[in-house]
Amino acid sequence: MRRIGAKNAMELFYLDWITNPTVLARQFLAGLSNGALLFLVGAGLSLIFGVSRIINFAHGAIYMLGAYFGWTVVGAASKSPLTFAAAVVFSAAATFVAGAVFEMLVLRRIYRSDAAFQLLVTFALVLVLGDAVRLIWGREENSGSLPAGLDGPLRILGVVMPSYRVFLIVVGALVCLALWALLYRTRLGVLIRAATVDREMLKALGVRTDRLFTLVFGLGCGLAGLAGGLSVPIVAVGPGLHSQVLIEAFAVVVIGGMGSFPGTLVGAFLLGQANAFGVLAAPSLAVVLPFLVMTLVLMFRPWGLFGKPE
Amino acid sequence: MNARLLLAGAVAVALLATPLFAGPFWVFVAIEVVVFALYAASFNLLFGFGGMLPFGHAAFFGLGAYSLAVLVKKAAWHALLALAVAPVVCALAAALVAFFCVRLTGIYLGMLSFSFQMLLYTVVYKWYSLTGGDDGLSGVRLEGALGTANGLYYLSLVLVAAMLGFLWLLVGSPFGKALQAAKSNPQKSAAIGVHVALHRAIAFAIAGALAGLAGALFALANQSVFPGWLNWTASAVPIVMTVLGGMHSFVGPVIGAAVYVVLQTVLTGYTEYWALILGVLVIAIVMLMPEGIVGWFARGRRG
Repeated sequence: MRRIGAKNAMELFYLDWITNPTVLARQFLAGLSNGALLFLVGAGLSLIFGVSRIINFAHGAIYMLGAYFGWTVVGAASKSPLTFAAAVVFSAAATFVAGAVFEMLVLRRIYRSDAAFQLLVTFALVLVLGDAVRLIWGREENSGSLPAGLDGPLRILGVVMPSYRVFLIVVGALVCLALWALLYRTRLGVLIRAATVDREMLKALGVRTDRLFTLVFGLGCGLAGLAGGLSVPIVAVGPGLHSQVLIEAFAVVVIGGMGSFPGTLVGAFLLGQANAFGVLAAPSLAVVLPFLVMTLVLMFRPWGLFGKPE
Repeated sequence: MNARLLLAGAVAVALLATPLFAGPFWVFVAIEVVVFALYAASFNLLFGFGGMLPFGHAAFFGLGAYSLAVLVKKAAWHALLALAVAPVVCALAAALVAFFCVRLTGIYLGMLSFSFQMLLYTVVYKWYSLTGGDDGLSGVRLEGALGTANGLYYLSLVLVAAMLGFLWLLVGSPFGKALQAAKSNPQKSAAIGVHVALHRAIAFAIAGALAGLAGALFALANQSVFPGWLNWTASAVPIVMTVLGGMHSFVGPVIGAAVYVVLQTVLTGYTEYWALILGVLVIAIVMLMPEGIVGWFARGRRG
C-alpha cells in the first residue's frame, strides 16, 4: 500500500492558479454552465420527489433518452440552428410524453405500495431504457455538432469562452425563471407546492391529484430530456450516458434539500462550481467530492440546505 | 409441518448432490445461487424484518469482495484467513454507516446508504494502485482442494447454510422480535423499552457482515473482483431478489435469488438483452404479484 506522505500531500493540491483572475473567471463560467445543466436535471428530480415522494432512479436514463431523441433529429453533421432548436424542443416534448405515459401505466398503481416497489419500477425503467437505446440506436457513441452561431468563442468577463457554454447559462437562467413563474405565479404552481406539503389534504379538498401527478412526472422528465437535448453537442451520446448524470442530480437535490426549488438552484450552482474548481485544486480528489459532500449533508443535515426537517 | 420438513430434506439432498450430476458450469451457477441467497437474505433482515430500505447494500457485498482480494493479492494472506476477516471489515463499515443511518427515516436512510456506496465505488474505481481501478483484481485464488469448483461449492454451501440458520434463529429471538416490533411501530416499541436505534444498528452491522461474506465468496468463485459490483445499479439486485421471492417470508429472498440467478443464466444464453427482460419482469411482478413467489403460492393454497 502506498502511503500518502507529506510530499504526496503537496502533490494532491494545486493552488498556484488562485491569484490568476483569468483562470478564476474561466472556471467560474465553466462551473456556471455545468451548473445550468445540473439544475435542469435536478429540478425535475426534485419536483417529482416533492409531489409524489418517488425517487426517480430513471431520471438519468430519461436524460439519456432526451439526448438520443435530440441526436436523431440533428444527426451528426447538421449545423443548422433551426434543426438544433427543433431537436431540443423535440427532446423535451418527447420525454415529457414518455414520462407522463409511464406514470399513467405503472406508477399510478403503486403510490400506496411499499417504497421498495416504487424504487424497483423506476429502476426497471433504467434497465428497459438502457437496452432499448442499444436496440434502436446501437452501441456506439455518437456526437452532434455545435449549431452555427454558437460554435465560436465569445469574450465575456475578460475571458474567451466557447459561446455554447454561455448559451447554456442563458438557457438555464431562462428555464429557472419560467419554473419560478410556474411554481409561484400560477394556479398549477400553487397545487404543486401544496402537494409537496400535504398530498392527502389536497385530495380531500377536491383537487384531481391523479392528473397533477401525471403532469408533474411528465414535467420532471421533460426537464431531464431538455437537458439531454442541450447536451448533444458537448457529450458522447451512448448507452452509458445516464449513470453519471443520475448520481450528480442526486447530489444536487440532496445538498439543496429534496423537494425544494431554491435548494435545487443553490445545489446545482454549488456542485457546478465544486466540479470546476475541484478539477484544478485537487484533480485526484475531485471525482469523490460530490459524494463526500452528499454524504456529509445526509449525516449532519439530512433535509439539505433549504429543506425542512420532517 | 411434516411436508415442510420433507421438502427441506429434499432440498438439502439435492444441494449436497449437485456436483454429482452437474458439470463445472452448473456448479458455478450453484455457487452463485448459494452466495446470492445469503446476500438477499442479509438485505431482507434490514428490509423485511427491520423496515429499512437501504439503496446501497451492494457497498458491503463489494467491500467484502475487495477486502478479500486486496488481502490476498496485495498482502499475500491465505485466502481462508482473508475470507474470515472480510466480513469483519464489512461489519465495522456497516456499523459506521448505521451510526448515522438509523437515526434517519425512510428515504433519507436510503439516500445516505446510496451516497456512502457511491463514495466507496468512486474510491475503488480511482485508487488504481490498490484496487486495479476499472480492470479490477484477478487471480484471487483459494489454493488446495477447497479451491476447486466442487470444493468451493461445498465451502459456500456450508458457510451459507450456517449463516442462514443463524439468521433464522436471530429473527425468531427476542432481538428479532424487537426489531420487527420497531418496524411496525417505532414509537410504541420505544415506549415499552426497546432501544430502536441500537437494534437497527446491530441489524445493519450483521447484514453488512453477511453481505460481505457473500461478496468474498463470490470473489473466490470468480477468482477476481470488479468495481461494477459496488456501483449503484448492483444495489438493485438484492431488492429485486427479495421482492421476487417475497419480502414477508424468511425463505422468500432465498427462493428469489435462486430463480433470479437461474433465469439470468439461461436467458443470457439466448439473448444479449437480459436487462430489458428483467426490467419488464420486475414491473410485472410489482404490479401483478406484489407478495412475490412465496406469497403467491401461500395465497393459492388458501384458495
